[in-house]
Amino acid sequence: MNEFNELFIKYKDLITLAVYGTAIMLIIIGLYAVLLKKHLVKIVIGLSIIDAGVHLLFVAVGYIQTGTAPIFSPGYENAADKMVDPVPQALVLTAIVIGFAVTALALSLVIRLYKHHHTANIEQIKSLKW
Amino acid sequence: MKRYIIFLFIAVLGWTLAQTFRAIPFGADRRGNLDQPDRVAAFYLKESPETLQTANSITAIVVNFRGFDTLGEVTVLFLAATGLASILYRKEEDDETEERITLISSSLVRTGAKILFPLILLLGIYVFIHGHLTPGGGFQGGAIIATGFLLMLITYKRFDTNHNLMVWLESLAGLAFVATGLYGLFTYGSFLQNTHSVGTLNDLISGGLIPLIYIFIGIKVGTELTNILDILLKIKPGKQS
Amino acid sequence: MVISPVHYIVAPLLAAFAIPLLSKIYKDAARVVPGIVLFYNVIISFVLMKQVLKQGMINEVIAGWQPPWGINLVLTPFTGFLAAMISVMGFIIWLYGFRFKRTLKGGVVKYYEILQMMMIAGSIGVIITGDLFNMFVFIEIVGITAYSLTAFYRDRNGAEAGFKYLLLGSLASTFLLLAILLIYTQTGTLNMAQIAERMPEVSSGIKITALVFFLIALGIEAEMFPLNGWAPDAYEQAPSPTSATFAAVVSIAGVYALVRILFTLFDVAGVHQYLIVMGFVTMLVAEIAAVSQKNLKRMLAYSSIGQVGLVLIAFGVGSPLAVFGALFLMLNHAVIKSLLFMTGSYFIYNSGEKRLEGLNGMHKRLPYVSALFSLAAFAIIGFPPFSGFWSKFYILIAASDQKMIFLIIGILLVTIIELVYYLRSVGRIYFAKEEMQDIAHKPSVNALIAMSFLALFIIIIGIYPDIITGYINQAAAALLDKTHYVQQILGSK
Repeated sequence: MNEFNELFIKYKDLITLAVYGTAIMLIIIGLYAVLLKKHLVKIVIGLSIIDAGVHLLFVAVGYIQTGTAPIFSPGYENAADKMVDPVPQALVLTAIVIGFAVTALALSLVIRLYKHHHTANIEQIKSLKW
Repeated sequence: MKRYIIFLFIAVLGWTLAQTFRAIPFGADRRGNLDQPDRVAAFYLKESPETLQTANSITAIVVNFRGFDTLGEVTVLFLAATGLASILYRKEEDDETEERITLISSSLVRTGAKILFPLILLLGIYVFIHGHLTPGGGFQGGAIIATGFLLMLITYKRFDTNHNLMVWLESLAGLAFVATGLYGLFTYGSFLQNTHSVGTLNDLISGGLIPLIYIFIGIKVGTELTNILDILLKIKPGKQS
Repeated sequence: MVISPVHYIVAPLLAAFAIPLLSKIYKDAARVVPGIVLFYNVIISFVLMKQVLKQGMINEVIAGWQPPWGINLVLTPFTGFLAAMISVMGFIIWLYGFRFKRTLKGGVVKYYEILQMMMIAGSIGVIITGDLFNMFVFIEIVGITAYSLTAFYRDRNGAEAGFKYLLLGSLASTFLLLAILLIYTQTGTLNMAQIAERMPEVSSGIKITALVFFLIALGIEAEMFPLNGWAPDAYEQAPSPTSATFAAVVSIAGVYALVRILFTLFDVAGVHQYLIVMGFVTMLVAEIAAVSQKNLKRMLAYSSIGQVGLVLIAFGVGSPLAVFGALFLMLNHAVIKSLLFMTGSYFIYNSGEKRLEGLNGMHKRLPYVSALFSLAAFAIIGFPPFSGFWSKFYILIAASDQKMIFLIIGILLVTIIELVYYLRSVGRIYFAKEEMQDIAHKPSVNALIAMSFLALFIIIIGIYPDIITGYINQAAAALLDKTHYVQQILGSK
């Protein structure tokens, strides 16, 4: 545990960059897919990638240096000071389920659109004006 | 032109996020004072083993402290299944789409699936029954159960989830969740309030109503996800309607 | 049994989970049960409103944890008023759509009724919750039901409108989540009252970022320009009772969320000016777009966006009188616009023509419905004997108190635009030549009752606005009194 602590302090900037950077890059990549890709399924995948990035940000923000999972299993009954922030993890659980529901609904609409147009290319579908 | 505007928008957003999160140091303690909580995180870490006798504090938050969110979350899933059914599969209108799309699987896969299926169900049930002690819980367990059904659905063309039973289980689990909440309302005066006799920390029966609610959630999520998968597999893409 | 705000959510939830079972026993359960539940909501909103006006505020705790630790439901005169309004409108829309699509088979009706009921319940949840993340969950409930209902007819345009709405809606929820995350890291709480209390300590950079994210997210929900691209399509493609619900319930919930977050949570200067500018642009663009529409429901949708713009302007002006006007306008918008959608849908049903040409000579076939449509059109423009007059009047007075001359000129200009396209439609109904067609589909009795009730409301409020102004005054005062809100919720610790 101590070794890890030292390593964490030594490479803190790098770890921060890795975690936050990954999350923000995921959001950006997802947004790129949603706004610029032409294939409907790719757009839905983009939505999922954005969600993944946001969820990663949540969990990353809740992390505490060398913290453990917030579970009071036997032997850890009084270890509350070593535990990470549980709230973002609980919120992320809710957000994941909602993201799943939206993705399922989006896919069903994609299937509908494909049935009507025989294509999943958004350029050939736009019959409604923006 | 539109392309460049979008690139600009994405770049601005990325820059903003990067700048903002530089001000939020990674790994810093933001829980506040643990003995006299002034932030919710510290309060939950303090109360979850003390008052609720629940080992997994995330479960305590999901089911009790912020149980209302979870009720909403279960509802979102329920509504997504309903919406999916209304958009994709209407038994009364699409008789021709009764059939499911499945590839023909080899006997190896079929035998393996048959062996794995009960084990997956067992694992799912284990996960949601121990939701208050170990990582996991109703949503995770429900998702595991749904993967078991998915395995069966894509392996066997003739395998059918008993739709009637699914509807009953799903509705009854949902009603039981709300009824548990109402029990708290009528007995202690607050919706979803926990019972006072909560058992001891780290016992299987501890945390009062929390394990019970998580079992209902597990059943409900499992049946709902199975339903969604079933509907998605039942339609034939490409066929004109 | 004690009636508490939690019943608003629990009763529809119980019904939604039970309907699949009940409809196995009794075939029409899916049609009847939502009506009972929504009527129950109307009753409890009146009981609770009475209680709120006596006590000042009801703070209902969930799971026994006092705020800020647990989730709480708050009924102030402001939220109570909006919740009561949405309950009543929800019930009337149910009554209107009771015999909606009798040709549909049982299962499909079940889906429709569950989604419709939960959309209304979710909107009430957005309004009464006192917790930021809980508000997000309810916004998602409204969103998911709204996407499904938009695509309910399963034709090609329906699916596309639904998909467009879903894309923008999930971008909105992404930004909402990011904003909530930022707020949480800085204040360590999700309770709105405590966030408001701790907001001054938050560094201004993060505060501004969170504010911008909130504005993007809730701008999408509240149909603010330029984020309202989904709205006309969704209004047009959804079944007519659902279009009425979008106008009367969902847009109100969106505006509420925006106003609650800007007025209670943030203390940033310049927000009011922003609301005025964005509201004005929204209103102007939408009303100009409405003139050029050839499709009746699309025209009504743009008019609806324009009204929301005016509401935002009035909230932006920010004086007590202006907020009073804004709330009055929200009420009027809910009542009048849903009457327009209800009557308009009968015209479309009769002529089989979604375009404005379908209105030609309708007064001969549907004299009563035509009269109601004209009444609603005059009311929404703001002709004196109707309720729409008073809300516009109060907003104009509030603007003149603040010496905002350009705003007054702008609002009057927009009123002229409204006059043009509504009079054009009314003119088509009464004066255009009709080509003779088969027999008329007369409106059913329940729809007639619902529409007549709304028309009666418009006339009575138009003649005696004093019946309702007392409540609205208290509601406006409750919204503006932020310190009282914070103290009442956190004081009960």
